[in-house]
Amino acid sequence: MNLSDPAVYLSLLVFLPALGGLVLAVLPRFSDDAYKLITLGVTIVTFMLSLGLFVQGNEVNFQAGVAEMQNLFQVDWIPSFGIQYLMGIDGISFPLVVLTTFLCVVSMGASWGINKHVKAYCVLYLLLETGIIGVFLALDFFLFYVFWEVMLLPMYFLIGIWGGPRREYAAIKFFLYTLLGSIGMLIAILMLYFNSDLRQLDPQQLVDSGIVAVAEGESASDAFEAWKSGETTLAKQFVAAESDDQPLHTFNILALQQMGQHTTLFNNEVFLGKSLQWWAFVLLFIGFVIKVPSVPLHTWLPDAHVEAPTPISMILAGILLKLGGYGIIRICYPICPEAAYDLAYVVCCIGVVSMVWGAFSALAQTDFKRMVAYSSVSHMGYVVLGFGVWSAVGGTGYDPQYWKMGVNGAMYQMIGHGISSAGMFFMVGIVYDRVHHRNLNEFGGLFAKMPIYSGFAVGIFFAGLGLPGLCGFIGEVLVVLSVWKYSILLAVISAAVVILTAGYILWAIQRVYLGAEYKGPHEEALTPITMRELCIAAPLMFFAVLFGIYPKCVLDYMQPSVDRQVEQLAALTEQFEPAAGNDDEAPLATLQLGQMAKLQGND
Amino acid sequence: MDPSWLPRLLALAWLTPLASFVLILFFGKRMGPHGKLAGLVATSAIVFAAVCSFAALFTVWLPNHPVKDASHHGEHHEEGETHAAVTAPIHLIAAASDDSHDSHGHGEGGEAAHAEGDGHSGHANNGPDGYPSYYGTWYDLYPGADDSGPLGSLKLSISYYIDALTVGMFCMVALIASCVHFYAMGYMHDELHDFTDPEVTLSNGEKLKRPGRYYRFFQYLSLFCFSMFGIVIAGNIAMVFVFWELVGICSYFLIGFYIERHSASTAANKAFIVNRVGDFGMLIGLMALWSSLGTFAFGDLTNADGEVVEQGMFSLLRTEENYYHLQPTEGMAYEGSRFSDSAAADGEGEAEESSNKAGWWLLLVAGVGIFCGCVGKSAQFPLHVWLPDAMEGPTPVSALVHSATMVAAGVYLVGRFFPVLSPEALLVVAYIGCITLLIAATIAITATDIKRVLAYSTVSQLGYMMLALGLGAWVAGMFHLITHAFFKSLLFMCSGSVIHGVHTNDMTEMGGLRKKMPITAYTMLVGCLAIIGAGIPLTKIGFSGYYSKDAIIEQAFSFGSSNPAHVLLQWAPVGGAFITAFYMFRLWYMTFAGKPRNQERYDHAHESPQVMTAPLILLAVFAIGVGWNFPGTDLGVTNLLDQARPVGTLATTQGEILTGLTIPSEPDSHEWEFKKPAGIAAFFTAAAGLLLATLVYWWDKGLNPSELREFGPFKPIHNFLWNKWWFDELYDLIFVKPTKAVSAFIAWFDRNIIDTIIHAIAAICRGISVIFGSVLDNKVVNGFVDGVAKGTWDTGLSFRKLQTGSVRQYVMFIAVGTILLFVAISFVQNI
Repeated sequence: MNLSDPAVYLSLLVFLPALGGLVLAVLPRFSDDAYKLITLGVTIVTFMLSLGLFVQGNEVNFQAGVAEMQNLFQVDWIPSFGIQYLMGIDGISFPLVVLTTFLCVVSMGASWGINKHVKAYCVLYLLLETGIIGVFLALDFFLFYVFWEVMLLPMYFLIGIWGGPRREYAAIKFFLYTLLGSIGMLIAILMLYFNSDLRQLDPQQLVDSGIVAVAEGESASDAFEAWKSGETTLAKQFVAAESDDQPLHTFNILALQQMGQHTTLFNNEVFLGKSLQWWAFVLLFIGFVIKVPSVPLHTWLPDAHVEAPTPISMILAGILLKLGGYGIIRICYPICPEAAYDLAYVVCCIGVVSMVWGAFSALAQTDFKRMVAYSSVSHMGYVVLGFGVWSAVGGTGYDPQYWKMGVNGAMYQMIGHGISSAGMFFMVGIVYDRVHHRNLNEFGGLFAKMPIYSGFAVGIFFAGLGLPGLCGFIGEVLVVLSVWKYSILLAVISAAVVILTAGYILWAIQRVYLGAEYKGPHEEALTPITMRELCIAAPLMFFAVLFGIYPKCVLDYMQPSVDRQVEQLAALTEQFEPAAGNDDEAPLATLQLGQMAKLQGND
Repeated sequence: MDPSWLPRLLALAWLTPLASFVLILFFGKRMGPHGKLAGLVATSAIVFAAVCSFAALFTVWLPNHPVKDASHHGEHHEEGETHAAVTAPIHLIAAASDDSHDSHGHGEGGEAAHAEGDGHSGHANNGPDGYPSYYGTWYDLYPGADDSGPLGSLKLSISYYIDALTVGMFCMVALIASCVHFYAMGYMHDELHDFTDPEVTLSNGEKLKRPGRYYRFFQYLSLFCFSMFGIVIAGNIAMVFVFWELVGICSYFLIGFYIERHSASTAANKAFIVNRVGDFGMLIGLMALWSSLGTFAFGDLTNADGEVVEQGMFSLLRTEENYYHLQPTEGMAYEGSRFSDSAAADGEGEAEESSNKAGWWLLLVAGVGIFCGCVGKSAQFPLHVWLPDAMEGPTPVSALVHSATMVAAGVYLVGRFFPVLSPEALLVVAYIGCITLLIAATIAITATDIKRVLAYSTVSQLGYMMLALGLGAWVAGMFHLITHAFFKSLLFMCSGSVIHGVHTNDMTEMGGLRKKMPITAYTMLVGCLAIIGAGIPLTKIGFSGYYSKDAIIEQAFSFGSSNPAHVLLQWAPVGGAFITAFYMFRLWYMTFAGKPRNQERYDHAHESPQVMTAPLILLAVFAIGVGWNFPGTDLGVTNLLDQARPVGTLATTQGEILTGLTIPSEPDSHEWEFKKPAGIAAFFTAAAGLLLATLVYWWDKGLNPSELREFGPFKPIHNFLWNKWWFDELYDLIFVKPTKAVSAFIAWFDRNIIDTIIHAIAAICRGISVIFGSVLDNKVVNGFVDGVAKGTWDTGLSFRKLQTGSVRQYVMFIAVGTILLFVAISFVQNI
């Protein structure tokens, strides 16, 4: 096996957990602990593999400060439909991949309390990890969809078998919700596929799509000619399609992005006077926003969280919700930019409503885990809002800076929330393991009984509250600051959420950790935190602090890709704007340019 | 030393408490028996910070920027002289650049006020010369854009902005915090062993017993100092916000230090949430500035050659071309026009005019927004309700929170942000300060908890500072911040000493204590005299409060004379002086004078140990003399502060939205014309207040307070004040209850409406599939072998038993089927 080949390295990263699961499945009967240890080992090796991408000496690595796709590779999979095994990483997926592999290790550590069907649990757990990493790495839409579904089934069983009393209901609800979304996504995928045509892309766009490889110093058209005369299946199909004058469909996400941004392939009207990309956007967005989840498609989340076992809640909140956000930024926006522009306000409203709704709802909960689940709804609202603030309009001289900040903030919020929400669910899990209830009104006085645990818990909850110096703050403040430029009303509402957030978090802390005595059952079971739990809590807390005080450690990797994509979309804005609107706005745009000139003069 | 040492020294002072926090966080429990050494660690850290701060002041700042006497503004004006510029030898990062100018603004700024009251007439204003400041960045939180767009670079960074105010605040905070640390080492000794909390009764009727948390306390104190230093050194408003929140969370920990007491944790929550309400406003202000200026930096970033690389807020809004007068930028005009449609007016000139107006509106929104944050932190009306409850914390915390740190942060920010506040925003500041000072002072009259009296007194004094700043008296406001920090920390620590001695907060159980605890009694008397501004009127002899309070009242008179419509602002501080004198001496008499009201407590009372009384004496010295200049020199707090006066704020300014509004130039208020009536009014009202308190609470043959309380017209007033104007009840009714109702409704909606819809859809789907399935089954039964049919039927039945099972598999088939279909087709095609 040659690890210097991206195809091998990334495939290993994706499939190592599944392979581990396969090996576990065929292994003879061991003790439960052995299964858990093996699984933990597999997740650790996977984590190491993802960390290996940081090592600049490696053949396959991820370079900070590069905006483009890195380690892109393609292998024919089902050539007759143009389906490829196409993967790559950029600044948008890379932090999420590392977050995934990290949280999988941590959550496996939190799985030690699982004693039912341990082997099956471990196999499904590893399969889930493969599915998630696959989604983040896949750049072929079909492959993406396959991983999306692969991830769904293990999750269904993990909730449905190892969950709490109402697990069946919660699992079905989770499954149906998500499946509804994925059916819409499938329709959208097929719509896009059958309207795509690779021949419409010029050589440079083909290069940008990762289809044509270009050597150093070579021009795109030369590379294109070389590629056309090459031996690859796709090149042959391309030549054949050109001679037959037949469209050459593709599932390549990067190529679809190029088509969505530079061609009119997806602009034909299909239904109710709306264009194909409008409908594709809506279907895809619904699919992803269910996963985020946003109001009103969020009610699966509290149920799923309440019933899921602690480690699965951690994965669910820490990573699975991010798949929705990832889909929006990777697929919805770049493939259907015009629709995204049209619907930007709707997207923002969904984000703001989720923030407010989730926060209010969290305030009313008496179930500890349900409260944390609703806090996720609220916090993920920032993500949707950050993506949506398309402020690069005529009035601002098509200045994408504020939107960039919003999208960066949203991405950062995903990472920060990945740490803090996983931590919060783990903290709830620790007390649930001991006293087997989650009623907020029957706690109290935990600080005296479990001081170290309570210290960590308060720290993690403050990270969720968005306290500066902890991971929740950066994402929230970047998003909120960027909103005003887009809509003053939404900005004011989103700023008001900080009050509600403080309210429900502090109230929960007061009821659980402070106070003179514990008010619920099983008081004797409240023993101090164990070494294993400490080993899980400490890294989460460490990253919560690190991401809070030194955000550049993430931004250095993430920001170039995000900025590049936002710039590309912002550059298109002018052609989306209704022509009439431009006249009013133009003087102000020039006014701002004048200011820029003045600034430069000062330099 | 070279000025480049300033950021280093102050950063050292700033980070040492953080190091102490981290040390105690990890090793606190192991620091000696019950963490006793933690107190020493924290105290040495803050003393080291104080040493660094004073080193920065005396070895770096003053040698580079010698102070000059600021009180001669008026005289120079009369003599027609101009100041010689204080040339600032700034090499690295100074915002001040041009040494050749004379800082002639002082005199002429005053002239502008006299001549026509027109601040925009093009008169020279105080330029940056002689007002040195240093700005630089340490690292970026959000690096922003590489290519600077039309609106700045959108950088969020950790940076510093150092001027005389910064250095002065560092010294003040570090000094008072050091005193508080020493004091706390004595005060908190109960926590050194197992602690029985007398206020917490367990369900079995016993009092709570718990291990002491001595080291925890010092851990929080260190974090608190770190956060406060962070606010002071912050070079941009976003960084202020960061440390703003950290101060909030520290106060949360310290107010809620007795976590077992429900009242304490509730007070802590209240403090934090009320502050968050202020932060909401602050966020709006931040957003408005961010969207219109694209920078949060206070100062200009210069490169090695002294050229400006990135302009900060102050220089963007007060440009040299505009003689450092406040002027909204074009970006602000655009942003402002987004919410006020006045910009859409027709006509060239009119459009320009209205777009200018829009810019002023935006500036007002930004200024008031930022001020909202200060209202929360500095406990101004209507967000003052958290501060008295914050008395739940241990007394050293109250001393620190109420003097040098948290509440000072709000006033400090208004001072720091002063150049960006438009005259209208200043008017808002002034009115909020005015209302606060009156409301809080009246509540203080009836309170009987010694700490609560002081708490309301703090709120009231903060109102004074806000009022001063709002009226344009920048130096007076900041000066009062510093003098108040000393005498208020003194008063709180004295009250702590009393509580330590008699084990109660209730003044109705005290009396006559001056014999038992003389040091406490007489240092507190010094504090009381300082807070009422005791001094010989119209001279330069008095306690520290005398200088700062008189300066505020002078400005109020000056403001009142040019704005007759706002007469309330002129007389409120005078009335406040009367009430202040009354309730402060009421407190002192009730505690220390007369006969003991509770003989048992009196018998057990004792003077506090030396570690507590020594800081009292030190602070008493400062409370007397912090307003004085060093003998024989010009070196004093006011002159130091005058060096930090924001560029361009010396001139008299006119409102742009409220055109009748005039903010008079501060030095003018020291003219005899205002000084005389103000000084006399201040003296006699304070004296009257003192006299009344003596009559009621000391002189046996005088008035009897309990009879007064029951006296007809006073009864409802007393009741009203005793209930603190019913603010808590009002807020509960209009904010807390509706919030709870809305959240309950939303939770209900999720469970009952959304989920019901989901269930209904599921049921419909299931119904359809059952019908569809049975039809299909029938056809299959008709067409195929019975055995197969029966199998299918059984499966169908079993599916039906699993309530939703059939749907589950149905949809699973879709997913798996699709994949299989593609795979199958691809195989077929390949063959």
